[in-house]
Amino acid sequence: MLGQVVISGLLAGALYSMVALGLGLIFGVMRVLNVSHGPLLMLGAYTTFWLFQWFGLNPYLYLAVSMPLLFVVGMALQRLFVRRVVDAPELSTLLLTFGISIALVNLAQLAFTADLRSVEFLTGSFVLGPFAFSKSRVVACAFAVVITAGAFLFLKVTRLGKAMRAVSQSREVAQVCGIDVGRIHMLAFGIGSALAAAGGTLVAVMVAIQPEMGQVYTFKSFLVIVLGGAGNYPGALLGGLLLGLIEQISSLFLTTQVNEAVAYVLLVLVLLVRPTGLLKGRAS
Amino acid sequence: MSTLLWSLAGALALAWSLGPALAHAQAPVKIGASLSLTGTYAKPGTYQKEGYEVCADELNAKGGLLGRKVEFVMYDDQSSTQTAQRLYEKLITEDKVDAVMGPYSSGITESVAGISEKYKKVLVSPLAATTSIFRQGRKYIFMVISPAEVYLEGFVDMAAKRGLKTIAVVNEDTLFPKASTQGTVEQAKKRGLQVVLQESYPKGNTDFSALLVKIKAANPDIIAAATYFDDAVAITRQMRELNVNPKMFAVTVGGDIPEFYTLLKTNGEYVYGSTQWDEALPYPGQKEFLSAYTKKFKHEPSYHAAAGYAGCLIYAEAVKRAKSLDADLVRAELLKLKMRTAFGDYAVDQDGFQIAHKMVMIQWQDGKRIVVWPDDLANGKPRFPTPPWNQR
Amino acid sequence: MRRLFLPLLVVALVILALYPIKGTGYGVRFMLQLFMWIALAQSWNLISGLTGYVSFGHIAFFGMGAYTAGILIAKLGWPWLLASLAGGLGAVVLALVIGFPCLRLKGPYFAIAMLGLNEVLRVAVSYFERLTGGGSGLSLPALYASVPIYYAMGLTAVAVTALAYVIVTSRFGLRLMTIREDEVAAEAMGIDTFRYKLYAFLLSAVAPGIVGGLAARDQSYIEPISVFPLIMTITMIVMVLFGGKGTIWGPVLGAVLLFTLQEMIWARFIYLHQLLFGAIIVTVVLLMPRGILGVLQQKYNLPRTI
Repeated sequence: MLGQVVISGLLAGALYSMVALGLGLIFGVMRVLNVSHGPLLMLGAYTTFWLFQWFGLNPYLYLAVSMPLLFVVGMALQRLFVRRVVDAPELSTLLLTFGISIALVNLAQLAFTADLRSVEFLTGSFVLGPFAFSKSRVVACAFAVVITAGAFLFLKVTRLGKAMRAVSQSREVAQVCGIDVGRIHMLAFGIGSALAAAGGTLVAVMVAIQPEMGQVYTFKSFLVIVLGGAGNYPGALLGGLLLGLIEQISSLFLTTQVNEAVAYVLLVLVLLVRPTGLLKGRAS
Repeated sequence: MSTLLWSLAGALALAWSLGPALAHAQAPVKIGASLSLTGTYAKPGTYQKEGYEVCADELNAKGGLLGRKVEFVMYDDQSSTQTAQRLYEKLITEDKVDAVMGPYSSGITESVAGISEKYKKVLVSPLAATTSIFRQGRKYIFMVISPAEVYLEGFVDMAAKRGLKTIAVVNEDTLFPKASTQGTVEQAKKRGLQVVLQESYPKGNTDFSALLVKIKAANPDIIAAATYFDDAVAITRQMRELNVNPKMFAVTVGGDIPEFYTLLKTNGEYVYGSTQWDEALPYPGQKEFLSAYTKKFKHEPSYHAAAGYAGCLIYAEAVKRAKSLDADLVRAELLKLKMRTAFGDYAVDQDGFQIAHKMVMIQWQDGKRIVVWPDDLANGKPRFPTPPWNQR
Repeated sequence: MRRLFLPLLVVALVILALYPIKGTGYGVRFMLQLFMWIALAQSWNLISGLTGYVSFGHIAFFGMGAYTAGILIAKLGWPWLLASLAGGLGAVVLALVIGFPCLRLKGPYFAIAMLGLNEVLRVAVSYFERLTGGGSGLSLPALYASVPIYYAMGLTAVAVTALAYVIVTSRFGLRLMTIREDEVAAEAMGIDTFRYKLYAFLLSAVAPGIVGGLAARDQSYIEPISVFPLIMTITMIVMVLFGGKGTIWGPVLGAVLLFTLQEMIWARFIYLHQLLFGAIIVTVVLLMPRGILGVLQQKYNLPRTI
């Protein structure tokens, strides 16, 4: 039983890591806590659903649509709204993104109604000895790993990625070095949104799709990046896997009811000892 | 903001000038209610509203109530208890309605029951299934549907009759599913079934894998889940993923809604659901209700609509017999009344608690809901046992 | 203008005190819920407006007060006024317990930790079912006390606003605002920032605890999701921001305007009101982050004590 649960936890954790990385990027580069991260994921899920409805085909193909689409949407949101609060105290950014989040959720409700949808594509599980793993979760984990690896490669190797890391570390110095900080901000928000959208596509095959589905991912992503260290990118990976594990294990040994609380209690305990997260994140 | 104020002022002026003219016409019977048209309960709340409207149409087509037109005054409580309370106060003290009908959900009904008691207005509550609401000595509240505790009575009965021995019960941690679980566990014990696992999960939970792993390890003959809709769908799906194979599996709310099968497709086969009402049941007035409803709203009614419809008819019947809208007279009639509507039977005890209405169990067979219990209302036989996932 | 202010205030208070005589049941309920929001917004202002520490889970104190009072009333038969005060005390104890670890955190860490606290409390309430009724909620014995509760809520709102006035005009308040502007400099000047933050935090928990207890009594029924919702924290925050963060009358103005606006909009735009609320938030944050009074304060050089 424990083995099954640990592996389930890691599978889920990989997904959390990818989505949280998106949030972490936005925070690291712009110091913005994006409360609308979950709704962006939701939009990715709906994109996948509608494309699947109209065209059929393998829904995972639609990663190639949802990610660029939400990338553009993310950049637009940054340019129109978020840009104005980048230097403001975190209250403004929290509230602004909260407002955007409410707007996105309600627009989705008006456009798509609150009816539950799902993408029935991959059901059943891989059975490996005494363990059974939901096929869709395994595939989601695989894609998450690939996409996250891609994101890290981008940050490490490409010029744009390096520029982004530079801005994360010090905006003023980056500017002095000739980096167009405004553009980097837009790109960061775009990439963050794309990662959320990827999460949405992967999740669309697993859970019911409805306008409020993103909220829980927002909270989880917050938890992950604060746990791992806000603004610390590898921290997001660690935090995500940890969260996945904690959730599953506490559900097993305690009850499902308390696993949210366990994660938060753990968070507070970690913060007591290391006030900026496990891997030393940024304060502000 | 100022446009709003000006238009309000204009509307008031208009109403003021028309007032005298309107006063000469017969004032309609105003029935007030707050319903969850947005928020978590938006879907069933909207269905309930539609049921009220069909009832109002039917009453008015037959000459109204006490010779007066019936008019519903309905507000949206956004699935929030605080808002609902404000709205019932508004309906009673400002809109001065003649009667109130219940909102959706046990939680909201519980929070507004005190208000109808305070102003001594009869409150027929079509969609409150929790016993505790009706056991607090309130005099003006009346129940229409079967209580939560008996939702899975049929399920336990069917299992016991087939000699099954062990049961696992899971539930969402809110008012109604908890009450349902309590009742189910009691009945199971009474019928000699052993409860091998009982656990609740938080509202909004989507990942049941750890819970299902525990259940699988406990290996029960049957699994009962006191759910709403999203969780019923998620649990069923994840049972398939984790290869959990009970001989029977039942859910409460959600199992009987058409979307359940639309979302799960063949994975929904063999699942038992409990429902307060099914359109196939042989009750009088079914055909009329169905045709009126589908004509007006262009889709099939759920039991929420049927309950709303019946609740309103029951209230109207009591008013007719009392020949008055006076709350105490109507109350006396409601206590005595025995009636059968398209929704089923109605009769209450001295607390206003429903004692006549029967729940039925359905099972999904070939994409259709077949009523399998109780025997005198069934239109098909249950497919037992549920075959394991890999043999379908 | 300044000289008219005090007499006008007294007149307003007298009118409010006499209102229940003529008001309908709905009117009284509407007003007492408005007072509740004023108390909540003003309390949030005490910690977040003055020190700059964004308490993102402030509603936890409301829920704590609601359950403390609810349990005392339902299980031990306490009179509601006493129970509500006990609710306030419970909230302060909670603030002490979580203030110690959390107030050392900065910025986003503090905000998220507070958010998490709210969730933990909600789950804890569900867990300790025997005491709290868990997910079934807690029913209080029936009591029709809307009018006395109206006065209790009103008094609490007045008290918190008075408290805000006292703090803003005191050295204590000045020190808090110094922390808001530059905590490092404040420390350098010798201010024990932790102690001051803690005091502000404790003070900001009292009123939510008390009004939580009063609200529980008024509704006669509480369940975890209705007393610990994030949306209430957000609403509190938007009210303060709208009216003017860090001012005294800002939260009052914000609460009155937003609550009344919402009540009028809901009836008319059933399916749009949430969207409108989101739009209001975005507008306020982008266009008037200092709030109405903040803008007026700058423009007309109004005193700090507005």
